[in-house]
Amino acid sequence: MGADKKKIDKAIELIAKLSIDKSSVAFSKIVKQGARIVMENAYMANISEATAKAYSQDSEVVGAFIDLEGDAPFKFLFYVQDTDSLVLTDLILRKEVGTTKEFDLYTQSAVQEVGNILASAISNVFSADFQIALKPTPPVVLHDFAGTVFEEYLVDIAIERNEVLIIESQFNIVQSNIKCSMFLLPYPGSEKVLNYISKAL
Amino acid sequence: MGKRILVVDDAPIIRLMIKDIIEYHGHEVVGEACNGLEGVQMFKELKPDLVTLDIIMPEKDGIEALADILKLDPDAKVVMVTAIDQRESLMKAIRLGAADYIVKPFENERVISAVEKALGLATEEQ
Repeated sequence: MGADKKKIDKAIELIAKLSIDKSSVAFSKIVKQGARIVMENAYMANISEATAKAYSQDSEVVGAFIDLEGDAPFKFLFYVQDTDSLVLTDLILRKEVGTTKEFDLYTQSAVQEVGNILASAISNVFSADFQIALKPTPPVVLHDFAGTVFEEYLVDIAIERNEVLIIESQFNIVQSNIKCSMFLLPYPGSEKVLNYISKAL
Repeated sequence: MGKRILVVDDAPIIRLMIKDIIEYHGHEVVGEACNGLEGVQMFKELKPDLVTLDIIMPEKDGIEALADILKLDPDAKVVMVTAIDQRESLMKAIRLGAADYIVKPFENERVISAVEKALGLATEEQ
């Protein structure tokens, strides 16, 4: 059982690494040349640790939730601090940083679209590398405190379990000093597929 | 002479980007829709020369909207817009009759090239 769990963790780690590579390429393309992405961290955490960590940040964030539906269902979250969503909007619209001053329809949409593109990049890892079809749902955007956004993200899973594996990665857009967080949460139904992938390792 | 284009995407920032690119090249964006349902309705009302159609949208997705649009007008020119590498959906769209596709994140040149090629305006190097 322990050996199986180890293998599944390894499979998730592999998916995370491949996803992060693919997402990084997509993300640098969204924010255009000059932006360099440095991945700060990618680790496994349990549900309570992750929620506590999110609640320890008292800042407001803008998050995009996306379900990756299919054989190995995952729930995806991308978020940035709300002040950083203004910078993100300028980068996407190729405007001088500082042009967007207020959170509006476009800043919300910028986070929505970055989430959409990153989730699609991840779904491509599954289809290209493991022949598992995953379809992203339209993103849902939430602007609230980090803890609230994170709790919303986990709500479906937390009803069923106390602990769950979460893949978290953080990266910076160095030039603009934006810190982004991206989470990938395997739904219970994905275990069979993760097991299948782990056997191939 | 500029062509009349309908932009269908659930992300306002993407609609704005596509609109800016299209208008910069002398065409007119005659309508913007935020989902497939609204897109098909606007296609019926506005009869544009071309539609740019996002694939993942609420209410009715781009594939369903494409099928509806082509039912209304089998000669409709539709350019699909998709997030990175949604190959299966893209293949489905091309089989249904989409003229071309743009993968997000996109470059301005790729957008105008796909639009003008679908409209029969593109030069060889595009």
